[in-house]
Amino acid sequence: MSSRTPPAPHVLTGKDGEPTRDAPWIFRTYAGHSSPRASNALYRQNLDKGQTGLSIAFDLPTQCGYSSDDPIARPEVGKVGVPINSLDDFHVLFDGIPLDRMNTSMTINGTAMWLLALYVALARERGVPEAELKGTTQNDIVKEYLARGTYIFPPEHSLRLVAETYEYCVDKVPEWNPSNICSYHLQEAGATPVQEVAFALANAIGILDLLKARGRIDDERFARCVGRISFFVNAGIRFVEELCKMRAFADLWDEICEQRYDIGNPKYRLFRYGVQVNSLGLTESQPENNAWRILLEALGVTLSRRARCRALQLPTWNEAMSLPRPWDQQWSLRLQQILAFETDLLEYPDLFDGSPVVQSKAAEIANGARAEVERIVAMGGVRAAVDAGYMKSQLVRSMAERMARINRGDQVVVGVNKWTEGLPSPLVGGDDGGVFRVEARAIDEALAALAETRRRRDPARVAAALARLDAAARSGDNLMEPSIECALARVTTGEWAGALRKVFGEYRALTGIDGQTLDLPGERLTALRARIERFAAAHGHRPRMVVGKPGLDGHSNGAEVIAVAARHAGFDVVYSGIRLTPEEIVASAVEEDADLIGVSILSGSHLELTDQVMAALKAHEAEIPVVLGGIVPRADVPALEGKGVRRVFTPADFQLVDVIEKMMDVIDAPAA
Amino acid sequence: MTTEEPLIPSALALHKRAVGHLVTVFEDPRAAAGPRRARVLAALDRTSARRGRVIGVTGAPGAGKSTLLGELATRLIAAAPGRAVAVLAVDPSSPVSGGALLGDRTRVRFPPDERRLFFRSQASAGELGGLARATFQVCRLLTRLFDVVFVETVGVGQSEIEIVRVADRTYLIVPPLAGDHVQFMKAGIMEVPDGFIVSKADVGDAADATFHALRASLRLSRPGHEPALHRVSARTGDGLDALAAEIATAPIGGGVDARAPYFFEKWVAAEHGRRGLERLAAAGGAADFVDASGGFEGAQAAFG
Repeated sequence: MSSRTPPAPHVLTGKDGEPTRDAPWIFRTYAGHSSPRASNALYRQNLDKGQTGLSIAFDLPTQCGYSSDDPIARPEVGKVGVPINSLDDFHVLFDGIPLDRMNTSMTINGTAMWLLALYVALARERGVPEAELKGTTQNDIVKEYLARGTYIFPPEHSLRLVAETYEYCVDKVPEWNPSNICSYHLQEAGATPVQEVAFALANAIGILDLLKARGRIDDERFARCVGRISFFVNAGIRFVEELCKMRAFADLWDEICEQRYDIGNPKYRLFRYGVQVNSLGLTESQPENNAWRILLEALGVTLSRRARCRALQLPTWNEAMSLPRPWDQQWSLRLQQILAFETDLLEYPDLFDGSPVVQSKAAEIANGARAEVERIVAMGGVRAAVDAGYMKSQLVRSMAERMARINRGDQVVVGVNKWTEGLPSPLVGGDDGGVFRVEARAIDEALAALAETRRRRDPARVAAALARLDAAARSGDNLMEPSIECALARVTTGEWAGALRKVFGEYRALTGIDGQTLDLPGERLTALRARIERFAAAHGHRPRMVVGKPGLDGHSNGAEVIAVAARHAGFDVVYSGIRLTPEEIVASAVEEDADLIGVSILSGSHLELTDQVMAALKAHEAEIPVVLGGIVPRADVPALEGKGVRRVFTPADFQLVDVIEKMMDVIDAPAA
Repeated sequence: MTTEEPLIPSALALHKRAVGHLVTVFEDPRAAAGPRRARVLAALDRTSARRGRVIGVTGAPGAGKSTLLGELATRLIAAAPGRAVAVLAVDPSSPVSGGALLGDRTRVRFPPDERRLFFRSQASAGELGGLARATFQVCRLLTRLFDVVFVETVGVGQSEIEIVRVADRTYLIVPPLAGDHVQFMKAGIMEVPDGFIVSKADVGDAADATFHALRASLRLSRPGHEPALHRVSARTGDGLDALAAEIATAPIGGGVDARAPYFFEKWVAAEHGRRGLERLAAAGGAADFVDASGGFEGAQAAFG
């Protein structure tokens, strides 16, 4: 042993004591669209460009447990991700991609067990040992009830499915992360950093407590399950706070694992997380500015080595306008590669250890979050807090406060409420207007493949597999193996979920919108209220508006904010909820004799769903004006207006008073 | 001025648009709406003798009212092909803006093309007692079109139990873990409802405990004539058929029209204050006055 002088504090050393450089995090791009064939081509292209893991986006029917030929599914097939109807589709999706060497992340929740079963079945048919599979199913059902909306079953049954994936994987697929606790969508739904940390950790506690209470695994396996819990975090534009948030997360998780679960091995207490940086703050106006926002947000989760992400996926500059094109994704991937390989970021130990500012800020977040976690645990845990609507109402309040700050101009958003004059962006000038269009043939391809699977499969094996699934659902046996058998038998996504719906029932959500208020600018609000009072005096009733979300997209924040704002201005707002058919929303509006229908669509299916809304209105011989809000490319606005939509609101219409005034204009104006 | 009359045949055929429009007329608080209502009622009565029963359902927020009503309504129409069911869900208005956020629809999912089911939300428009100003009026309309009219209100205490004034039969929904029997007694609403429903029975022990505590309280507070007590689960369907059968055969007291004097008196108090009430008493009281004026609208016109 030579007695060398210890290296300087800025030198990162490896196990051998020699100066080294960290390996980069996993580079991913959240991708998938149209069809398994098209998505496979995209994945292979992305991997060739230096992407190091896959992040699969599924379409809404797959996420909600419907096959592509279900009537409620058809407008959504292939829109926000790839449609997967059976194991045959998985063979196409992963064609030429080595399962034993790939790290695959699947953003899937309500049907997570099914997609994991398909992945395991695919490995079995390809002869890859399932113990070698690596990756993550998101499988975080609690945040679906809170923010994202792709739940299927009531919470107790959904949580059982989550627990059973852990109990299966701990022996059979030990390197799989059965679930990925997401705070991502909580921030999108308006959570503050303290809420984000607290709700995510309370959620993880909920899963671990459930695994303990079920008592189906011993202490050694339990400790490994703790080690497999991973997190999926959002990184916002306040990147110093975000950096501190990540350190608070790691500290608090270590504390919980040690104190609450008595986990001795520090390896199992590591806070392992992936990141998708924030899409909420991305703007539709001056969209090129989003490139800088994404860069800064990426810094928040990479600068501090001690709290650096394991995997990073970046949104694209145009996400507020549409789904990204391959070029947009490449541009975001290049940012990661420059950060990891051109800069010297990975050559140093942690840059912030010992910083009083960072330590103090992290401690403040950790303390606030610890108190909030304790509050939730005292309420009976995350499940009870969801049932009682506590977390949802907290989130809707935070979201309302955020909107209020932007409305007042307290929170600067460049190009939106400040420095709004800008030159036209050449980025949106191309033939496609800078937006992505799903191939119209995607649905035909999905339907043809589905029909072919149904034709070729063995009906007796399908029936037997579904019967076994049904029996296990009723008896309480682990559903993984019966699900894998369903996958091998070519049971479809809709059949698998349908069989379980029969046993478990379906969940209808609490809205969290009760008792919320918004801080709208005083003078204009007063004028608006006076206008609404005049309307009420003239018509014998307040303006009545039915707000609903047609289709399967469950991102309900926008619809909820509009509902709360309209009530605040003096409307009678009938909130009809999410995941409705256009026919249901129209029937509601007709029964309610509404003056206005407001539909919210973020899935990209606005053209198809608008056709259905208009057809339903015609069937009722009703002439109720329709306004539409959501992520709509500007180029589609004329088409929507041509179909009869009276007004389209996009993320650029963030001034709620403007939106409500324009809705009143529509109500007051005679139909064209 | 007879814009409503062309809607009558469609309304009798339960077209949603026609029924929806007419409900708006019956909610209209302006004086001019009275004669329009009278004409609609007269036209309906010329064609149809249908008189549905009004079933009040009240309970705290989150007790499971809307979900239960959705299930009950579906069962009621499935049990009898000619039967039609309406739900009127009343929610509070904001005292600040006067607007309301009506969310009960999110719990109920009726097939959009089923005319025999009708759902309408109503804002309480600042009225105390959990019962909207217009609820009585809308019930007059809906009982002429539907066999069962559910009125759902948020009830948490005595002042919100006003619903018995309009309903032929009123149920209080009690979720599991709503409290022990001391709390039931204290709540002071044990005496009012005709029936009690413990909801969410599928949660097991907690529902059983609530059921037994409630039964014990009822034996104490209403000895000798204990009201109906049900234990149901909207999710599994347990207990729903028995409850639906009880509702389908519930006696219709005098019907909604017999409630006119009470609501007329409320109208007099709201429009004319104490002076008005004194004048009404001097004229022989609400019942006589309504009777002598040929009904509610006639009485309004006569009272001036």
